[in-house]
Amino acid sequence: MYWIANGFLFRRVTSPFQKLDPRVKLAISIEFFILSLFASYVIAVGAVLIAILAVAAFARSLKRVGRTMVFSLLFAGIIFAINVFFGLGLLHALVYALRFLAIISSTSLFFVTTSPDELEHIMKWMRVPRDVVFAFVTAVRFIPVVMLDAFQIMDAQKSRGLELDKGNILVRVRNMIPVLIPLVVNSVIRSGELAEAMESRAYGAIPKPTSLYGMKLKWYDWTVMILSFLGFVIALYIYHSFRFPF
Amino acid sequence: MTLIEFKDVTFVHQTGVKALDGVTLAIDKGEMVGIVGENGAGKTTLVRHVNGLLKPLTGSVMVDGENTRAVSTAALARKVGIAFQNPDHQLFSDSVEKEITFALNNFGFEQPLIEQRVSWALEFFGLEEYRKSSPLILSGGEKKRLTLASILAWDPGVVILDEPTVGQDAIQKAKLAEITKNLKSTGKTVIIVSHDVEFLWSLQPRLVVMRQGRVAGDGPCAEVMLDREMLKTARVSQPQLVRLEERLHSRPERPFLDLSDAAAWITKEAQ
Amino acid sequence: MKTLVRVDNLSYRYLDSEKWVLEGVSLEINEGEVVVLAGQSGCGKSTLLRCMNGLIPHMYPGEYRGSITMDGEQVDKTPMRTLAQKVGLLFQNPENQIFMFSVERDIAFGLENLGVSRAEMRRKVDEVMNLLGITPLALRAPHELSDGQKQRVALAGVLAMRPRLIILDEPTSLLDPQTASELVALIHTLNKEAGLTFVVVEHRLELLAPIADRIIVMDSGRKVLEGTAPEVLADPRSLDFGISVPPISKLYSQLTNDGLVLPRYPSTPEELADEVNGL
Repeated sequence: MYWIANGFLFRRVTSPFQKLDPRVKLAISIEFFILSLFASYVIAVGAVLIAILAVAAFARSLKRVGRTMVFSLLFAGIIFAINVFFGLGLLHALVYALRFLAIISSTSLFFVTTSPDELEHIMKWMRVPRDVVFAFVTAVRFIPVVMLDAFQIMDAQKSRGLELDKGNILVRVRNMIPVLIPLVVNSVIRSGELAEAMESRAYGAIPKPTSLYGMKLKWYDWTVMILSFLGFVIALYIYHSFRFPF
Repeated sequence: MTLIEFKDVTFVHQTGVKALDGVTLAIDKGEMVGIVGENGAGKTTLVRHVNGLLKPLTGSVMVDGENTRAVSTAALARKVGIAFQNPDHQLFSDSVEKEITFALNNFGFEQPLIEQRVSWALEFFGLEEYRKSSPLILSGGEKKRLTLASILAWDPGVVILDEPTVGQDAIQKAKLAEITKNLKSTGKTVIIVSHDVEFLWSLQPRLVVMRQGRVAGDGPCAEVMLDREMLKTARVSQPQLVRLEERLHSRPERPFLDLSDAAAWITKEAQ
Repeated sequence: MKTLVRVDNLSYRYLDSEKWVLEGVSLEINEGEVVVLAGQSGCGKSTLLRCMNGLIPHMYPGEYRGSITMDGEQVDKTPMRTLAQKVGLLFQNPENQIFMFSVERDIAFGLENLGVSRAEMRRKVDEVMNLLGITPLALRAPHELSDGQKQRVALAGVLAMRPRLIILDEPTSLLDPQTASELVALIHTLNKEAGLTFVVVEHRLELLAPIADRIIVMDSGRKVLEGTAPEVLADPRSLDFGISVPPISKLYSQLTNDGLVLPRYPSTPEELADEVNGL
């Protein structure tokens, strides 16, 4: 499960790409997403994939995005197999599999290069209700804390003789109960404490709270946005006018 | 007879932090040992090596003649019980009774013995009235007693208390001190990790001071607590009675172990 | 001295509960004081704190009798947004009161909720970070902070709204003794230099007694003892109420009982030693 977390978790690096306004990063990922949906030929999808990885490299996040892609190969393989089974040609099935990889990678690219703060701002900009945004922010903020809790709980229960890596699948699932229950209970207690702290700092006092940071599109944001859109349009045009062998 | 032995142990966490940096320590059967040191000095990491939750990077940890690397955590846990700081990290059963039974089942106890041990534990820790209650409704102090009860039920030879007095009021602390003394008198080896120097002073165990992953001081409580310079570098405070004794102009022959010591000496000096 | 908080015959029990958690509590907190609220677990001190900042009854409706007046306004009739600017509450667990991904953003949380303009927010956040000496931590994420730093950040978040009264619910219980002393020293400095009033619920009286103007002891929902630190700690009844009387205070009481009355009440072992030396 670790790779899922890493493939979509933000990591701060020094790269000009990360400094871009999150809306630009979102636009770029959406453009890749759409391109991969259109591309029905192996060369085309392949090109999109390479482009995604190139941008990831520029953003100094190639390892993470690349790793996500590698770990998604299993699912891609399943998609390939299922499509072949249902009678689609091998090449066609390959396109679907590659398309899946491209979609995962473009999504991963966005999340790996966008901080939770920026995600919050994008959601507000998209007029997501304030409570939903706050729930998201709190969830992300406390993920590492809850994970730490989980490890401590596992240690406590192992110290009482619980063996987590023994037995068949049924036994293992049952052995998770002494870990899950305290985890849930602790999370509930934590939510209660958070609620008190929130109330005490006037959460919900007014419908539209202000914000310490804001999003502002700067000249390089516009430049990159326009360039990427141009690239997007050109890619579509090339795609349309080319005869792809496969 | 040496029961627990650390031989030049180092340990590095996954985060890259070196928590133990060459620890050599031997604890005899039946000893009571207090472990002090600031947060991050390595106290908790140290005790997690005793029941095998952690295995040393270099060096070795021997418990009851066995190398912890060669034995499973469950097997070690049968001999070494750790009461962790936060009871909410452990309690999950429908009833207090079942909570105590959990470990007994894990360790393969047979039914008539289980009932016996559960009844003993409930009585010893004053929890019989809560036998069928949910552990979640107990008060903070009662939860702490329940975690101790669940451990003592399986009768480990070594009992480790990790910060037993955090968040406890005076009455609860007094009860804990009594229980700890009882444990020692029944021949168990007791290890107490604590910030609470007053609590430790009242127990007078052997004291081990950890500083930056190493043992900075090791000896009888009454001696170690007098080494002001060393304690300062380890960021450990001295008990009030020790601070008092060190400031007096004419010094008593030995440090004040409790209030009556101090009161008697002062009253005599005043005359 | 102006009275900041007046608790008038306050009684409270939670919804669906038989037991009265507070019974007829009356007390006053004056501006500029550091008051310690002590008592064994379950005596009602944490509940009283929540009554002071309005969580009770706004977040925890129940049966509420009597009144609390906070800086001139009755707590149960004043909305939380106004109360949050009069009184700040700091909780026990440093982790569960920091919501945002960066320190300065979290400090701004309360101000954002109140709709303060960005420029003014920036100013207030910078000011309070400076006051508490945490400006270098401004962009750090919560998981990169030590527990002591987290408590400071939480304190900053509460101070940003400029309340006159800060109430703290066992703020040092999860901290090691050195970090706890540092937090207490900070409270003392803020009290003396910024004139802030503090009410602290604490078990660790040896840390708080030296800086407290008054100690109020509660038991079973009632106020049972009140006075200066020397008065309360030397009172034999304080032990009955299960509060942690520091060894030095117990020693002072015992010496007095034995007939040796020291000239001044000592709040630290060093003070007691000096007095004995002087005899």
